[in-house]
Amino acid sequence: MLRYVIKRVLQAIPVLLGLSIVVFLIMRVFSADPASVVLGEHATQEQMQAWREANGLTASIVVQYLNFLGSALRGDLGTSYYTHTSVTTEIMSRFPATVELAIVAIIVASVLGIVLGVLAAVHKGSFVDGLSTFVALVGVSMPIFWSGVLMIILFAGTLHVLPSGGRIDPLLAPVGGTGLFILDTLLSGDFEALGNALQHIVLPALALSLYSMAIITRMTRSSMLETLGEDYVRTARAKGLPKGSVDRHHALRNAMLPVTTVIGLQFGSLLGGALLTETVFAWPGIGKYVVDSILKSDFPVVQGTVLLIGVIFVVINLIVDIVYAYLDPRIKYSQEEG
Amino acid sequence: MASTKAQISRRNFVKAMAAVSAGSAFALAGCGSQRAGGSSKSANGDFTITFAQASDPRGLDPAMVDDGESAMVMVQVYENLLQYEDDSCAVKPGLAESYEVSDDGLTYTFKIRTGVKYHDGTDFNAAAAKASIERQLEPQRTEDMPYAAFTFGSEADGNGIASIDAPDDTTLVIKLRAASTAFLANLAMCMASPIVSPTAAEGGKLNESPVGTGPYKFVSWTKNSDIKLERNEDYWDKDNAGKAKNIVFRFIAESASRVTALANGEADIISGIDEAVVSQVENNGDKVYKTDGMNINYLAFNTQSEIFKTADARKAFAKAVNVQELVDSLYNGYATYANSVMPLWMAPYDSDIQQAQYDPDAAKSELAALGITKVKCITYSVSRPYNGKGGTALAESVQGYLSKVGVDMTIDQFDWTSYKDAVQAGNYDVCFYGWNGDNGDPDNFMNLLSVDDTAMNVARYSNDEYKALIAKGLSTPAGSERDDVYHQCEQIVAEDQVWLPISHSQNLLGHKANVEGYVYHPTAVVFLRNCTKSA
Repeated sequence: MLRYVIKRVLQAIPVLLGLSIVVFLIMRVFSADPASVVLGEHATQEQMQAWREANGLTASIVVQYLNFLGSALRGDLGTSYYTHTSVTTEIMSRFPATVELAIVAIIVASVLGIVLGVLAAVHKGSFVDGLSTFVALVGVSMPIFWSGVLMIILFAGTLHVLPSGGRIDPLLAPVGGTGLFILDTLLSGDFEALGNALQHIVLPALALSLYSMAIITRMTRSSMLETLGEDYVRTARAKGLPKGSVDRHHALRNAMLPVTTVIGLQFGSLLGGALLTETVFAWPGIGKYVVDSILKSDFPVVQGTVLLIGVIFVVINLIVDIVYAYLDPRIKYSQEEG
Repeated sequence: MASTKAQISRRNFVKAMAAVSAGSAFALAGCGSQRAGGSSKSANGDFTITFAQASDPRGLDPAMVDDGESAMVMVQVYENLLQYEDDSCAVKPGLAESYEVSDDGLTYTFKIRTGVKYHDGTDFNAAAAKASIERQLEPQRTEDMPYAAFTFGSEADGNGIASIDAPDDTTLVIKLRAASTAFLANLAMCMASPIVSPTAAEGGKLNESPVGTGPYKFVSWTKNSDIKLERNEDYWDKDNAGKAKNIVFRFIAESASRVTALANGEADIISGIDEAVVSQVENNGDKVYKTDGMNINYLAFNTQSEIFKTADARKAFAKAVNVQELVDSLYNGYATYANSVMPLWMAPYDSDIQQAQYDPDAAKSELAALGITKVKCITYSVSRPYNGKGGTALAESVQGYLSKVGVDMTIDQFDWTSYKDAVQAGNYDVCFYGWNGDNGDPDNFMNLLSVDDTAMNVARYSNDEYKALIAKGLSTPAGSERDDVYHQCEQIVAEDQVWLPISHSQNLLGHKANVEGYVYHPTAVVFLRNCTKSA
């Protein structure tokens, strides 16, 4: 297993290198000149040129890339052109918000998606199946900026029962800790802040989970249906085992393999930041930050954040593959298989 | 055996996950029944004002920023040697009790206020004020200080500060390279000029943790989320100390979301709204405050393009556009027709300036005679503070007028950053642009057409007589003689039809009905020290 993990990590290196080259080139070829953004309305051509030279933007693109790569390998992702703050600091001040929302959203999506998918498969053709298909269709079809706004209008604007955005009442925000407010407030025993944080995360988590839930529901349903048609399930039933027991112990566990992959990939994409959700719900994560940075031609921030997202995807994929072995004892990651 | 252990483990894992999910759902459902909000969480009978704006400040060191979001926070924390009156850009004493200007307009002597401390306990005195300004002067100035050259000048341009001295704790002497009447207004600006703690500046963290002498102290900044300030209990001016115990700035990108946050009690004041949401704010029972802005929204003729080299051609184009009608229909009363480059509240002497009058028949015949049938226009796709409807809608309105006189105007639109590059490239006949005033001085508006830098002078206009007037205006003391200089400048711009002035937009704020006492200054910042909130 260890050899497999090491091999996968080594395989990730060319992936991340390729990613960094693509992002680097795209930003330099298609983005506007950052000097005018950074120096503002009063900047003269001479001031802009001085700034470009000071920031290494007048060197050849190969030299620029090698400088970036050398710094990145030393753990230095550079400094934001716009805010003059370390990119690592900027990312880490926003990443916990993205992680917290992604975790809650994937839990909601997984629990609801698997339950709906299983019910739809077990009761194929019934009302529950129709309902599940409808929910999945709505989840896939309805854009978050629409469903999110509807939720805000209903629960915040009309009923006034939930906040419209943000992570927590700023005056209740925990200081220090992990940056995951639910965890931090729970550990510190500050239940007023915990309740407030939970209030704030309800709507964005629900809105964000809709799409993932729909995907998981459909995958669970089709995987379950396929498994329920297998010979060993028929055999188990023929032996006289109760239907529920067969569904749970024989069918569901085997149907979970492809669903695990989907959940893993969905979680990876949620960790990459959810631009629309973060924008609609004023959620302070990295999704919106990276898009804002693209618009401001803040090269170091975009490069650093995309690299981080790339690493996250690689790690999540690796974890999913390892979980495969856990869920299916037949799978072994031996040297031969690798 | 191993298999059984694994099975139990998996079962426990699933049970644990189910318990967590159920617990979360329970907690969420339980919380859902509570009243949302909490922006005004009271402590010891005091209150909090929550101000929602579109985005984070770029930073909180006045030397390093140029954006309105930064200014909104900084004006609560820092103070300047001089400050603006509440409703105009006339200056009055701030951290300087008084000042004297030498007859030649080159030496400024400030009497520095005593008994003032920075939030970090450092004493404020003339040396501290000197250090705050000196770090932005050459050679200490770095290339990423956006307002340093504008505010304090440069050696190469032969303007700004030649020397600065603090002979004792209460005296600050500044000598200029050339007389500049705008210098005093510059010192009251919310960029570059606020006086920072020398101790904090040396620490290098000022951009994240501002330390000034103002009525509010910085507490914390959660990026993309909020900034917290608390009242400075040791503030030197007891009559103008902060009323609210806490000020919270929240960052909510979407205008509609800010309106909902206001309605839901999550914010007390919201900025960055336009006329599209005014009725929504009012229908929610909240209030809209509007005030004249210090800006100009204009169409610039490229005076170096083949078809608009002459004033006659530019005038013929201008006659085709009914600007008054356009402004009324496009901005629905939230912008005023621009009779002149400067808003009339800034320059009342400009009320008699005559722009080209709308005359489509004359425009049609004159444009035809000049052979102008196609015009290449570039514009920006986003809304700007001086044009809430965005450049595209504005360009399309003008395009409609031109089509009526037989001219086909093509429109290329860009996002704002790309647009500035396109303007620099100069491949257009007309472009849309605008200007937000910095300091209320006429030079700040009128010199746009005298500089060689095409990032500012997008019309690429060059007129020696005009440049001489601008130079004269800058060194002439405030008064009727100076007003006359800028009046002449306005007349030249109108006669040469360098721009087609369109509108001056209004500044809008939304606020709860129980909130009052804030000052929405023409420079578009909001002073919150006297803001109160009734129960």
